[in-house]
Amino acid sequence: MLPIKRACEGVVVQEDIENNNDNNGNNKNTNESKSEGASVFKKIRLAEATDSTVKITSEVVCGENNINSSNNHCSDSLVKGKEKEEASIMALGDANTTGIDEDLHSRQLAVYGRETMRRLFASNILISGMQGLGAEIAKNLILAGVKSVTLHDEGAVELWDLSSNFIFTENDLGKNRALASVQKLQELNNAVVIRTSTKKLTKEQLSDFQAVIFTDISFEKAIEFNDYCHNHQPSIAFIKTEVRGLFGSVFCDFGPEFTVIDVDGEELHRGIIASISNDNPALVSCVDDERLEFQDGDLVVFSEVHGMSELNDGKPRKIRNARAYSFTLEDDTTNYGTYVKGGIVTQVKQPKVLNFKPLREALTKPGDFLLSDFSKFDRPPLLHVAFQALDKFVSELGRFPVAGSEEDAQKLISIATNINESLGNGRQVDINPKLLRHFAFGAKAVLNPMAAMFGGIVGQEVVKACSGKFHPLFQFFYFDSVESLPSEPLDSSDFRPLNSRYDAQISVFGSKLQKKLEDAKVFIVGSGALGCEFLKNVALMGVSCGSRGKLTITDDDVIEKSNLSRQFLFRDWNIGQAKSTVAAAAAASINPNLKIEALQNRIGPDTENVFDDTFWENLSVVINALDNVNARLYVDQRCLYFQKPLLESGTLGAKCNTQMVIPHLTENYGASRDPPEKQAPMCTLHSFPHNIDHCLTWARSEFEGLLEKTPAEVNAYLSNPSEYSTAMTNAGDAQARDNLERVLDCLDKERCETFQDCVTWARLKFEDYFANRVKQLIYTFPEDAATSTGAPFWSAPKRFPQPLQFSTADFSHLHFVMAGSILRAETFGIPIPDWVKNPKKLAEVVDKVMVPEFQPKKDARIVTDEKATSMSTSSIDDSAVIAELISKLEQCQENLTPGFRMRPIQFEKDDDTNFHMDLIAGLANMRARNYSIPEVDKLKAKFIAGRIIPAIATSTTMATGLVCLELYKVLDGGHGVEDYRNTFANLALPLFSMAEPVPPKVIKHENMSWTVWDRWILKGNPTLRELLQWLKEKRLNAYSISCGSCLLYNSMFPRHKERMDKRVVNLAREVAKVDLPPYRHHLDVVVACQDDEDNDVDIPQVSIYFG
Amino acid sequence: MSSPSKRREMDLMKLMMGDYKVEMINDGMQEFYVDFHGPSESPYHGGVWRIRVELPDAYPYKSPSIGFVNKIYHPNVDEMSGSVCLDVINQTWSPMFDLVNVFEVFLPQLLLYPNPSDPLNGEAAALMMRDRAAYEQRVKEYREKYAKPEDIGAAPEENSSDEELSEDESDSSDEQVAGKADP
Repeated sequence: MLPIKRACEGVVVQEDIENNNDNNGNNKNTNESKSEGASVFKKIRLAEATDSTVKITSEVVCGENNINSSNNHCSDSLVKGKEKEEASIMALGDANTTGIDEDLHSRQLAVYGRETMRRLFASNILISGMQGLGAEIAKNLILAGVKSVTLHDEGAVELWDLSSNFIFTENDLGKNRALASVQKLQELNNAVVIRTSTKKLTKEQLSDFQAVIFTDISFEKAIEFNDYCHNHQPSIAFIKTEVRGLFGSVFCDFGPEFTVIDVDGEELHRGIIASISNDNPALVSCVDDERLEFQDGDLVVFSEVHGMSELNDGKPRKIRNARAYSFTLEDDTTNYGTYVKGGIVTQVKQPKVLNFKPLREALTKPGDFLLSDFSKFDRPPLLHVAFQALDKFVSELGRFPVAGSEEDAQKLISIATNINESLGNGRQVDINPKLLRHFAFGAKAVLNPMAAMFGGIVGQEVVKACSGKFHPLFQFFYFDSVESLPSEPLDSSDFRPLNSRYDAQISVFGSKLQKKLEDAKVFIVGSGALGCEFLKNVALMGVSCGSRGKLTITDDDVIEKSNLSRQFLFRDWNIGQAKSTVAAAAAASINPNLKIEALQNRIGPDTENVFDDTFWENLSVVINALDNVNARLYVDQRCLYFQKPLLESGTLGAKCNTQMVIPHLTENYGASRDPPEKQAPMCTLHSFPHNIDHCLTWARSEFEGLLEKTPAEVNAYLSNPSEYSTAMTNAGDAQARDNLERVLDCLDKERCETFQDCVTWARLKFEDYFANRVKQLIYTFPEDAATSTGAPFWSAPKRFPQPLQFSTADFSHLHFVMAGSILRAETFGIPIPDWVKNPKKLAEVVDKVMVPEFQPKKDARIVTDEKATSMSTSSIDDSAVIAELISKLEQCQENLTPGFRMRPIQFEKDDDTNFHMDLIAGLANMRARNYSIPEVDKLKAKFIAGRIIPAIATSTTMATGLVCLELYKVLDGGHGVEDYRNTFANLALPLFSMAEPVPPKVIKHENMSWTVWDRWILKGNPTLRELLQWLKEKRLNAYSISCGSCLLYNSMFPRHKERMDKRVVNLAREVAKVDLPPYRHHLDVVVACQDDEDNDVDIPQVSIYFG
Repeated sequence: MSSPSKRREMDLMKLMMGDYKVEMINDGMQEFYVDFHGPSESPYHGGVWRIRVELPDAYPYKSPSIGFVNKIYHPNVDEMSGSVCLDVINQTWSPMFDLVNVFEVFLPQLLLYPNPSDPLNGEAAALMMRDRAAYEQRVKEYREKYAKPEDIGAAPEENSSDEELSEDESDSSDEQVAGKADP
């Protein structure tokens, strides 16, 4: 049961909540926010009364977005007739409250899809308890774009809240937490309605919501509310979560019958069939093109099977014995037709129904706990008892245990022991007094990293509850990070509050570590989604906030609209500004003590003058917040060189990973790598695509060729014809010939002077791509062609294509011509007339285009008689052709207006009005149609062709929380490798996998040993010969020495022997052109060498001192 | 495993020790040319092709990119750009392979057993499928025109012995390959 259709019911109760608010208005401190809030509510009520519930707030504040999207609809109306799917999607979007702003949400849409987003936009959420955890959950949900979030809190902002809540400042002390949160949360997303509730909740009020989250509630109350939610029709998703010091818990109950639509969020796996046996069970083999990713028990459907056509019935079938290229079916195919050829097998996902237990029941029968760390497999049951004990402690004493109070700790331990003893046999746990003591001490504190981590987890659970997308957490999750505590034991006086904003944190870690945090010199590389979250975290933790602290952040990027759905320090008025500067200012407003400097330099070899030796040497720790592997590898190398800890993290959709790189304790980031992404072979892309990715890759490359490279080539010629011609003549190869041909075509045959010319060009491109080339291909390789072995040429995975017959009645054809002609006109600087967007007018113009009849080239076919002639045509000297092309070019250049230049177009995926994606989707879909490959809509095309990396706020927040739990360890110093944790998590499953980092590989040679963290030093400005001799004395024979990517010496090159008596530093300067800054007295070389038995020995980098 | 930069040096070294003529571009270890002799018992025998090898940053995790500099008539080599559509290089590369494998196994195998079912040069593929003799004739014409050993890189004298050596080398490896491969 999905709580979607209840969205409208919210109207009624909204007024209750609002009234609550009004009643609360007598709180003087909140006058301002109250009146603001009230005005928002009125507009909403008005809007809902008139039934056009279209996000009113956005009409007021971001009217621009609406205008934009209606523009899109105008242009898209062209396609409406044919592209039914697209049209119906739009109709839906227009009709209800959920017009998705796809520019804003593109990265999130890539994770969730439209349907999930639509459900989110219809969901009303209650968050009760607005300390650090509540604020993180609210942030994540507001960024995701739910319909409304109601913030509930009866308490006032305290100094302790400032350790974890990024919304509050010292000015908010004493204000109601919910009221103090509204304004800043509203800024995150104007399309979300934010309400407040400051009075005691009654269970009846919960019926206004699709999901309710409690971050600070007693078990007694929780059970009462949960019973109500569980039994409500339809049920209300209930989440109880809390973070207490370094301990956290989540409980989910989405009702007695909750349907999960998509259990893992993964793309559907596919396979191309090579054969199917008539057998029981039947064996299905697939082509060895790509490994199959099916798992036993998956359900699949078949299509396009020739011969055994019984399988094409669309019925899901269960698979067994899933292997890399085959599987068996549970079906008996003995009496089916005999397999001939073809066939595609596609996974189908079945909805899964979960029967949640209410809290009352689950407390005593918790079932399996979700485990996060195998080294702590016995921990969850213990924490299950501990959290109940804490609840009991608080209800009995009316307060939390005091940090450092042994008495309180003992009390908690004895309550826990009692609870444990009341459990039946076999369910009792080992009470670990040491752990419970830590639990008691930290219980009152909400720490920012814990809030961030659980804010991410719980935020994701709410999305699941509202949409059915991804598998919910079933039902308890417990976590602790006691390893984050300082390695030295703390004295109870260390916990004493200092009346500072860090008091909560001090109560857990002590004031000594707090001082270390404040004095830390930190470098955050990148100010995107991860960077924003990190800045918030470190600001709240007080990192680099002391007089000796310094935080440097760098990013060379500027803010774009698509960033705003998760890079939460940015607002729409910041679009176009430098990310690092805006983020730094926002972080400083979270904590004014933050000593931050924002730079706009891209990290890399080019900026080593900015990030110089002194800069690196002064750092305490480096935090990566990057989005690409190359930059990560570079920072890794720098950290390795300067022996600095590097905290690495990354996200992909709902997945995230963190990796700690600690000098001498762990391996470095680059030591292990994921295999690079497989690229499709060129021949497949050229002529034999078999999926839409192939079509899109091809489309993207054609787009670049037509609109960027060729115009740029034309300009290169025009800006200096003689130099260009000389260069091409000198090259004299096929590539040069091809360049010249394309330039000539653009300036001669295909030159456009009017918009009509551009329409003609686009129409003829259609003919060339989707008719002529296909006709040529199937002429060269007819459907019955056989290879030398007699096997059919057109066998799987190749698909036999059919040429398209252009028709103005087909809107997708017309749309292609429209996008093509508009972009062509742009490259020629021709104004674009309005009529191009009128399908009827455009069709008239297109119909007038003369399309020449196509004759396939016969070269390849006629082999005997015409061999001689065909040989002569295809192997004419390129240089002769080049000379002819150059002379033709000279002629047509005379007819050009002086100073004529083309305007190359660079692909920009994120502008919905520039027709780039229209053309690419058109190219890809028409090609898909040639090969009977299912087409995709523009949004999907954009994700694939634009290589949009799916990204959501929840996994990002969680990753940074996990990293900051490690930051405590790094800055404390003295932790062993066993205290650190790397994490891989997938919130979609959900899965948490934490493990100790891998130590660096130790290399042994003779009586020496070293790791990647070591460096060898050779002083005295040696010559190459001396360096080799020095290594020889270590029984190492060097055969290759390089500096950067440049070879200084290789024993195989005779000319390198001359270098023997040169000083290495001079070689580096002369050969490698190494620019050594005046203050530097050494250079580093990489030496490849072998031992006396010719085994390669991987020796450390060698630093050669010449000063 | 060695650090990636050392794999470059080691692999290059092994290639040179295998008597391949390697010419570095700018003393860098990213790009270089290697002379490749057409395997005997193939219509490419007697031709020498200059192969441009580019080692990507992620080498050996990512495959080297391989292209024929002088023209070759082959179903799996793009006539214009010289790009190779070779399954092992582009698709199933693993860091376990090295450059010697490319020149002693993958490329000889490609020239001995063209795969017309995945053509990059459709015309060559079609011709090979329909008229093997005409196809081989065309290969030879191209070889004689574009792949004359004396045209390659104006080789200095000291390399002539290298060439003979490497020819022997590739001959012997061809036999190994021929033994393994299916006809």
